Amino acid sequence: MSLFWSVIRQLAETEAMATSKKVITRDEWEKKLNDVKIRKEDMNKLVMNFLVTEGYVDAAEKFRTESGTEPDIDLATITDRMAVKKAVQSGNVEDAIEKVNDLNPEILDTNPQLFFHLQQQRLIELIRNGKIEEALEFAQEELAPRGEENQSFLEELERTVALLAFEDVKNSPVGDLLDISQRLKTASEVNAAILTSQSHEKDPKLPSLLRMLLWAQNQLDEKAAYPRITDLFTATLEDPFV
Amino acid sequence: MVDDSEQGQKELDLVGSYFLKLWRLKSKMAAASSAKDVEMVNLDNEDEELEEEEESVPTELDTLNSSGGFSIVLPDKLSVQYPSVNLHGHDVGVVQANCPAPVKRLVYYFEIYVKNAGAKGYIVIGFTTEGFNMRRQPGWEANSFGYHGDDGLLYRGQGKGEAFGPTYSTGDTVGGGINYGSQEFFFTKNGQVVGTVEKDVKGRLYPTIAVHSQHEEVSVNFGKDPFLFDIKAYEAVQRAKQQTYIERISIPQTASYGIVRSYLQHYGYEDTLHVFDAASQSSVPPITGIHDNGFNEHGVYALKHRKILRKLIKDGQIDDAFGNLREWYPQTVQDDTSAICLMLHCQKFIELVRVGCLEEAVDYGRTHFEKFYSLKEYEDLVKDCAALLAYEEPKKSSVGYLLEESQLENVADAVNAIILSTNPEVKDHRSCLHSYLEKLLRQLTACFLEKRLLNGNQGEAFHLRRVLLAKNS
Repeated sequence: MSLFWSVIRQLAETEAMATSKKVITRDEWEKKLNDVKIRKEDMNKLVMNFLVTEGYVDAAEKFRTESGTEPDIDLATITDRMAVKKAVQSGNVEDAIEKVNDLNPEILDTNPQLFFHLQQQRLIELIRNGKIEEALEFAQEELAPRGEENQSFLEELERTVALLAFEDVKNSPVGDLLDISQRLKTASEVNAAILTSQSHEKDPKLPSLLRMLLWAQNQLDEKAAYPRITDLFTATLEDPFV
Repeated sequence: MVDDSEQGQKELDLVGSYFLKLWRLKSKMAAASSAKDVEMVNLDNEDEELEEEEESVPTELDTLNSSGGFSIVLPDKLSVQYPSVNLHGHDVGVVQANCPAPVKRLVYYFEIYVKNAGAKGYIVIGFTTEGFNMRRQPGWEANSFGYHGDDGLLYRGQGKGEAFGPTYSTGDTVGGGINYGSQEFFFTKNGQVVGTVEKDVKGRLYPTIAVHSQHEEVSVNFGKDPFLFDIKAYEAVQRAKQQTYIERISIPQTASYGIVRSYLQHYGYEDTLHVFDAASQSSVPPITGIHDNGFNEHGVYALKHRKILRKLIKDGQIDDAFGNLREWYPQTVQDDTSAICLMLHCQKFIELVRVGCLEEAVDYGRTHFEKFYSLKEYEDLVKDCAALLAYEEPKKSSVGYLLEESQLENVADAVNAIILSTNPEVKDHRSCLHSYLEKLLRQLTACFLEKRLLNGNQGEAFHLRRVLLAKNS
């Protein structure tokens, strides 16, 4: 089909859609909203789930007292999990590995990728701290054997060791490894693995519900013009554009 | 022109009566479930909303409007036979289910078992609309769909079938399903999906089976017995597919933090709020941009007072709460027949019953309920409270809900909202009723319902509770 005709067709389709769309006024929509009943108890659970999964242990404790909502996990385990996360975030990877094994040795045993990433992070920290000899020794003895087992591990190992090859590491092609975001990435990987081992979801439910809201609105947009919420921070209804 | 104080009272009533409505809703639910089964009140309530809306589902074969006389539905109403010799294309034995497939769900599914493929194995499973010609195979006529056993072809409204799946015969279990999410039919053989086809038909669809050669016999399972096909797993896969679309949508990174924070502010969970703020500021990386007060219109208005009152009410210290409210926000309890006063008086009464001070409760009721008796709108609720006295074990009675924690919480939430509404900055009092989180969840639910409505009622609704119960989704 020529461009001309496809444009014409698109225009016709857009027009047809515009005319067949149902228009829902603010008053009508508010009536529908008022018919929706969300239980307070369920919202409390949603908030508790967020605090617990994100590791806000003190806030979760207070929220339990203030709202009477029971957390869906033993709060003590959050403290341990956060200690591991913090250790990785501040570069104490050895410490983190020890803590994970104290928590549950199966986590690293059954998760070779996670273990490799932790070891890789350890190597990065050694290089960051200028312990070149130690770094080389560690790479050859601990990481290289694992690289032989797995091609992607090997590539990552080579990339990491390349840090040693640049004088101005920060501006080198592998400079991102030294970035704080690399620590955060590793930290969140450990965090997720611990949550999974406690048969808890690794992500809180709230963000996924917010995505679902935007998705549902997008879906409904195809059929109707109605008051939408575009700013999640203020939850303000915006009048439909007709 | 209404004078200011009258206008103010009206606005307060708006807030108070909203929470009365929530109370009344619970009262009705408790009454309804106790009518069903007194013992089950507490157990039942929890899951009730998870059930899909009441919709009739096929349970047996339609014996009245089926088979133009060419097939026989057996007395169990779940099996069908073709006794005679087929002669042409207009003596098919078609049987529909006793009602159309339900639509307010993600998937509908049923199965047949071929007991005997008869002379030629002209067995068909499919879907047809109302008024379908019962002497023709599903798929041969417009608006009908059929997966045919003898050739494995799929027919959809034309004389010609299309390549679809394997043939099926004696001993096979075959299933037909509707996926309302993707708007497709799918068929299975012996527990495996064999294919899907677009559902380009409007209107309600009847699960349909047909037989068309001598000695053919088929039985149908509308779900009374477990299906051979793992329908739960299929649903989970369909949901996961949708979920991957949803996960691709990006949201501001701090949105969840902001919403949790405004929730804590809204309900006056002050201690949690402070600890949460401290923690999110010291986290790596720190959560920024959500700590400015302009963010929530209520913000920290009367936060301390709201926190104190919530705690008092939660602990059942209604006198103290009432006293404080009178002192701090006299305008909220000025009218002693207002909804908020009713709620507090009733709660005081409930607390007396809870600790077993029945005589005192009677006295309290006599002193304070009288003024409410004359008001029709409160009558049912006051009655509920008074009824507590009638039972030796009120907790197990139909008004036992009054003794639940959530009753106290509703009173606490009402007091919280009424204080928020005294904020001179607030222009619309309705904004005091809901946290941002609640507004977002209401919008989410309404969008799902509206989308379904515009889609011929097909598909499932959104239930927060289902999301909360789902593990590792």
